[in-house]
Amino acid sequence: MHLRVSIRAVTLAATGLFVVSACGPGGTTSQNLAAPDKQVINMNDGTEPNSYDPTQQTYTYEAAVGRNVFQTLLSSNAQGTDVVAAGAESYKVSDDGLTYTFKLRSGAKWSDGKAVTAADWVYGYKHLLNPALAAGYVDPFFDTTIKGADGYADVDVSKASAIDTFLSSLGLAAPDPNTFVITLQHPAAFFKWVVTLWVASPIRQDVVEQAAGGTFPSSDTTKPEVWAQKAATIIGNGPFKISEIVSKDHVTLVPNPSYWGGAPHFQKIVLWFIEDANTAYAKYQTGDLDAITVPLANVDVVRNDPKLSKEAKVYPKLTTFWMTFNAQKTPFDKPDVRMAFAKSIDRDKLNKQVQHDIQKSILSFIPKGMAGYDESDKAQSYDPTAAKALLQKAGVTADTLNKFKLLTRNTTRNKTLNQFIVDQWNNNLGLNMQLEVIDSKTVTSRIRKGNFDIYGPDGWGADYPDQQDWFDIYFKNSCHSLNWGCVDLPGYDDLVKKADSELDQNQRNKDYATAQKQLIDQAAVAFIFQDYEYNLIKPYVGGLTITASDDQSLPGDLFWHDAYVTQH
Amino acid sequence: MAVVAGRPKRGALLPKRVAAVTDSRLGSLGVYVVRRILWMIPIVFFVIVITFVLMHSAAGSPWDKAGGRQLSQVVVDNLNKKYGLDRPVFEQFLLYIWNVLHFDFGLSYQYQGKSVLELIAGGWPYTATIGVLAFLLIVPIGVGLGVLAALRQNTRVDYATMGFATFAASFPNFVIGALMIVFFSVLTYGWTGGNFFLPAGGWGMDDHLIMPAITLALLPIAYTARLTRASTLETLRQDYIRTAWAKGLPERLVVVRHVLKNSLIPVVTTLGPTFAFLVTGSVIVETVFSIPGIGRAFVVAVTSRDYPMILGTTVLFSIVIAIANLVVDILYVFIDPRVRLT
Repeated sequence: MHLRVSIRAVTLAATGLFVVSACGPGGTTSQNLAAPDKQVINMNDGTEPNSYDPTQQTYTYEAAVGRNVFQTLLSSNAQGTDVVAAGAESYKVSDDGLTYTFKLRSGAKWSDGKAVTAADWVYGYKHLLNPALAAGYVDPFFDTTIKGADGYADVDVSKASAIDTFLSSLGLAAPDPNTFVITLQHPAAFFKWVVTLWVASPIRQDVVEQAAGGTFPSSDTTKPEVWAQKAATIIGNGPFKISEIVSKDHVTLVPNPSYWGGAPHFQKIVLWFIEDANTAYAKYQTGDLDAITVPLANVDVVRNDPKLSKEAKVYPKLTTFWMTFNAQKTPFDKPDVRMAFAKSIDRDKLNKQVQHDIQKSILSFIPKGMAGYDESDKAQSYDPTAAKALLQKAGVTADTLNKFKLLTRNTTRNKTLNQFIVDQWNNNLGLNMQLEVIDSKTVTSRIRKGNFDIYGPDGWGADYPDQQDWFDIYFKNSCHSLNWGCVDLPGYDDLVKKADSELDQNQRNKDYATAQKQLIDQAAVAFIFQDYEYNLIKPYVGGLTITASDDQSLPGDLFWHDAYVTQH
Repeated sequence: MAVVAGRPKRGALLPKRVAAVTDSRLGSLGVYVVRRILWMIPIVFFVIVITFVLMHSAAGSPWDKAGGRQLSQVVVDNLNKKYGLDRPVFEQFLLYIWNVLHFDFGLSYQYQGKSVLELIAGGWPYTATIGVLAFLLIVPIGVGLGVLAALRQNTRVDYATMGFATFAASFPNFVIGALMIVFFSVLTYGWTGGNFFLPAGGWGMDDHLIMPAITLALLPIAYTARLTRASTLETLRQDYIRTAWAKGLPERLVVVRHVLKNSLIPVVTTLGPTFAFLVTGSVIVETVFSIPGIGRAFVVAVTSRDYPMILGTTVLFSIVIAIANLVVDILYVFIDPRVRLT
């Protein structure tokens, strides 16, 4: 998942689930629900979505709108352990694991009252997979799974005929109005999670074409997006619909009167685009916002405030952060050298001194709260003596290492974290390394070209809680999209590819565990911390189901349909 | 002419002061204005050239993300094709100029399907409203305080006024904005039990405007006050002022008719660029008070390398500044009888 600022957060109890209740363990009775005109909630989305077309959304602050206005075939359960029926009532997978047949929900309607048909699903998927529209989430989720989509990269996007040929060859079919069939290239045990991504939504062809002023060739890149510009033409099948968009200021969601699952309690959800976390914090205190992320600088203030501390909620995110070594450069090609750096960061001290003790130290890849979390391998644990010995064993001197720099994005948070980390290396390994702080865009263009020594903190937030989403990062050929260090891991690709397509879940887990051990023991990267969220939520907001996959300052955004405001 | 550090210098656009007064002062004004407006065409053109070159030489592409997984090369290539970035830069430039001549400033890369003109038209009213309000504060307060301090030079009034100006000029506006929010929103909310407080940011044509306008105005008020004080002191020492006093004119007449008319010339010079600066927005004020204006949009466009949006806002800014300078030059004709525009 694309990380919003530079750092996001995670965890929780083993379940990964928090239910925030307004009235404590006793539950909420209908008596203390606020009146319908008081069922209004104001939250801070931080940044305006770049698009209201769900297929074009890539960040959580965009998806928070997309997944409430549109509904996918399946969705995650509250615990994040499995999928549950949503836009589809049920689905079945053929024995060879190649054909997914979705029985669509009967009675499902669009917000303008028309029935959702299989043709809408086919159109939505084709809209997503149209290479001319270059949606950010097609690769690697859909082009590597859906039959025919592997040619995604080779389509000449200037020719409508080439695009049409590609789209009609895809394994997407609507044998009848209530059935949607997806055929895969190869078995993929994780595909049920892929269809939970907000980008895989149905879209109304008639609405798109009407907004565009008629039909258009598939190579057109602007007309297919006109519908997503105005609240009136954003017709969705989700529990809410958009009633108002005030650019750069806020977007308002109201119940979709035709939603199959009944009316929600919330009559209005206003998502504000307030970039400054301190302003949002002030607006929470003056009652203008009902939930916020606490700015790091104010964490201690909240902890010591008798009233605010009761409204604080800490919960984990499925997000891990790490430091990347350029394994294409000597001496970082040596696992011993990388391990020496990994073992000389005192993560607990880092979290305490720099992060107000919100994040949790981690020595492994998969975050707490999803299958695959395993803290038994302590190979990267803090041990300066062992770290020094490793450097000696590798025959690397301080003089060699001192010329390397830690590449840092010029945000306050990244600078503070990296200054601490580089100090740890200097003190524990007897070095005199420096930070190299430059603007974010330049950092990205440099790491894409492999032009760095050490870079971080970089991380990953789960798109869905399946391990495939994580382990594919370190494929040899994905060297320049997140595996910046291009570390050499013999046998890793074959093992992970086998686990990705394996249908037996136990065998998958075993293979992924082996892969994780390899990442840790080879110090592919130095794992540092798992992200946690520190939010304030007004006590009268009830029935929120907070999951580790929520947007950072929009707690419970996957289950707002069931949340409510109590009398206050 | 006194130019205070930190204010934009007017430089080349400064009109020549001609000592000799000729009889066709106002007659040549119309021709002058038309010529200056025509001059804006090459000015905007060169602004575009420079912005284009700088923009494309800055590292990073519009499709890079600020962390996490990056878009795959396939998607990046398709996006480049979609927005014509796969063509040679010179060709992109010619195409852009051609489109601008047809009033087409292109589509934003960041906001899918939104045109640059639409984004600017959507955001500028917010920015301009705050800017005009701030300007309305600057003229009476800044000039008033400056004159007051000069007339009461070396008294407590003078020290208090200049102390305030130094304070306002040296506190960065993000600090002032944040402190005002804490004081007038959060603390006041607590003291009054939520009955009275100023909104901590957001938009509304009501008390939402108070804190942003004051925050934006403070620094220019400080500069204007200091500049007015300095030039008023200088004017007060002129012989003709001594003559006016000697004639026994009342203070009000001396100040308004004789002193101000001359001492305000340098102030008017700076008010033009100040006005342009205010109505084109401040990223800090707009961020702290969460105002959906174009000051913030411009900075976001730069950091996200949203090329069409960068060019669109830069062109707008250059036009606004050119017009503000022109207006100042015209005002001279009315303020200073010695000035002739040629």
